[in-house]
Amino acid sequence: MPECDNPLWPCAMTGAAACLAGFDGVAVIIHGSSGCYYYPTTLLHAPLHGTFILENEVIFGSEDRLREVIGGLAGTGKRIAVVTTCVPAILGEDIQSMLADFDVILVDSPGFSGDVETGYANALSRLGPQIDLSTEGVNIDGACLFDPFSCGNVQEILRLFTMASVPAGTIFCQDRLEKVYHTAPWTVSTNADFPSGTGNVLGGTLGFDAIRATFYKIGDHIEEADIDPVLRDVRQQEERVVRACDKYLQRYDPPAAAIFAGNSYALFAAEVLHRFLDAEICCIGTRNMPGASPFPVKRTDGISQVNELLKAYTPDLVIGSSFERVISKDIAFVGIIPPLRGTVRLSPTPLAGVNGTLFLIEQVLNACMDRKA
Amino acid sequence: MNSNPLPVNSSRLGGCTLTGALSVTSRICDAATIVHGPKGCSHHNFSLLHATWLDNDEVLLPDLVSTGLTEQDIVFGGESALRTALDKAAGRDVKAVFVLSTCIVETIGDDVEAVCEQEYGIPVIHIPTAGFLGGTFQDGVNNALITLAGSADPCALINGVNIIGEMNLEYEVAENYAEIARLLGCLGLPVSLRFVHDIPFDRISRLGAAQLNLLRNPALVPVGQYLEERFGTPFIPSFPHGLSDTIAFLESVARCCGIDGHKAVERERALQTEMIAAFGDLHGSRATLGNTWPGLEGLVAAEELAGVLGISPNGGGEIRLPVSPAVGTAGLRRMLHRWRRAIHA
Repeated sequence: MPECDNPLWPCAMTGAAACLAGFDGVAVIIHGSSGCYYYPTTLLHAPLHGTFILENEVIFGSEDRLREVIGGLAGTGKRIAVVTTCVPAILGEDIQSMLADFDVILVDSPGFSGDVETGYANALSRLGPQIDLSTEGVNIDGACLFDPFSCGNVQEILRLFTMASVPAGTIFCQDRLEKVYHTAPWTVSTNADFPSGTGNVLGGTLGFDAIRATFYKIGDHIEEADIDPVLRDVRQQEERVVRACDKYLQRYDPPAAAIFAGNSYALFAAEVLHRFLDAEICCIGTRNMPGASPFPVKRTDGISQVNELLKAYTPDLVIGSSFERVISKDIAFVGIIPPLRGTVRLSPTPLAGVNGTLFLIEQVLNACMDRKA
Repeated sequence: MNSNPLPVNSSRLGGCTLTGALSVTSRICDAATIVHGPKGCSHHNFSLLHATWLDNDEVLLPDLVSTGLTEQDIVFGGESALRTALDKAAGRDVKAVFVLSTCIVETIGDDVEAVCEQEYGIPVIHIPTAGFLGGTFQDGVNNALITLAGSADPCALINGVNIIGEMNLEYEVAENYAEIARLLGCLGLPVSLRFVHDIPFDRISRLGAAQLNLLRNPALVPVGQYLEERFGTPFIPSFPHGLSDTIAFLESVARCCGIDGHKAVERERALQTEMIAAFGDLHGSRATLGNTWPGLEGLVAAEELAGVLGISPNGGGEIRLPVSPAVGTAGLRRMLHRWRRAIHA
């Protein structure tokens, strides 16, 4: 991997912590230094524990320290998960054997092993979700504490499930731990960049078309489901979007958009803008590996790559994180991926589901109109 | 037998040396900083610096370069990746490059100093950091300041005071600086150099020109001592916290700089009296001072303020004291607004 100016995406350790800390009933220990502990703690807004190892543990071994911290959490009734960071990962200690007398989930996820998605998937595989055919309903996956829209996404899909009389199965990763071992056989996604790999995936929930297609499948597979209220809601809200976008286009040209996000959110934003605003999608820069796309896309994981794309295409709308907002200066901006710094966000807001598309469109229209005014 | 200290031990919770050093080097506006380690370490700090800068209305990004070490580099050594990053950084429009190392680099034993000593066409300054292996956050700050100070030579004195080691990650760094600049202004003293807060690299050469160094907090005393030895500049160990401490601060600065501070002290006392009167509605209230974070200085300052205002310290709602004690009279005024909210809640 070459050097990188201002890396834009967190490491695998953060991803593992984001996965595990989403489950009620898990006590997550970051086995590493205080520096490795503080970042996920501030980013995920979840209670994490740390071994805060020091030099003597690097030299003489970290077993005593790890056992001390685990011992402090014993009796809380929580399953303990240990996430290793870079230095413990290379010390050559057999942590699994060290902790043989504890019921501990060990996730070897040092920062150098990859990005946030790698660590999330690794941690989830260590949890080992199991399908229980007697569990009714549909699982929701793609929830990740790292994603500022995760909580809003889950609430929105639960709203749609309620409308369709569909019971919720397990929510990955925002649920009680025991539900990981009794998942429903069907799953819908809120963010395909963080898949659970559990259950038959009925589809995504980003954008009206995806919602419609997914709920048709839910109707096919879940006997008690009544999807008509959801389809009605999609139709009504889509009409509102069409009216709002047409009104915008009566006065203004479509925006030329540069989109920076994880692959899943980026494609969602591009499709929505292209469809409702006839926007030109100048470029998509994905933080992770890009997938198939009708729009020009390349991986951009450093700020200099973002700068190059913005200079090459001169968009009048930028979608991304507050990193992009800073370098976009006076260009209309909408934030859809972390970090979203410099702005107060208190309420859960979705990108998935019906309300997610409404949110994206209203943000885009307001940002564009503010710049035109 | 486990003899390791508990997590409450301050060295365990002292934060990351790398972050401390970056909080200094990132505020030199025409230099780049290389973080020699995995990308995650750079991202964590990049995101943190970005957040704190935006909190201070600074729509800028720090200039960090990660050597992006992978598992292969960890196994075979990362010095080659560092050379590549140095070549790249030196080719940019910067006046200096700082090189900071991480825990993993220290563990695998890369000879960072040797790589930095090679010729890159611009000053390459290695600042000893290594995450937790390098000490605490404060050690990172101190190491960075001392290393940078080593690049300056003694020079002729001018009328002015240096501010040393501002806490660049704190939310109200600008307001605290403004208060110190106001207090110094009351004595007719300008700020000579903010070491280090938004200065170009070549300004460091003027570090030895001030009459007095004012440290942000007592943890910087080793830096103050180093500067005193190198340049002969006396120092005051902390920004002032509390009513009487602010008055004492004015008296100390005046004494160190050989000026008459009586009028400035009188004006400040009058300003404090006026401020206390503006919060007279709090007189006779009951409140408990929450002392989780502020340390002794903050607590002493808060207790003094509560006493002057006639707030009974027993019972009533909890007043949360700030993590960093309020600075000067203006800091106390902002804190009193939060006290009013808590007392009237």
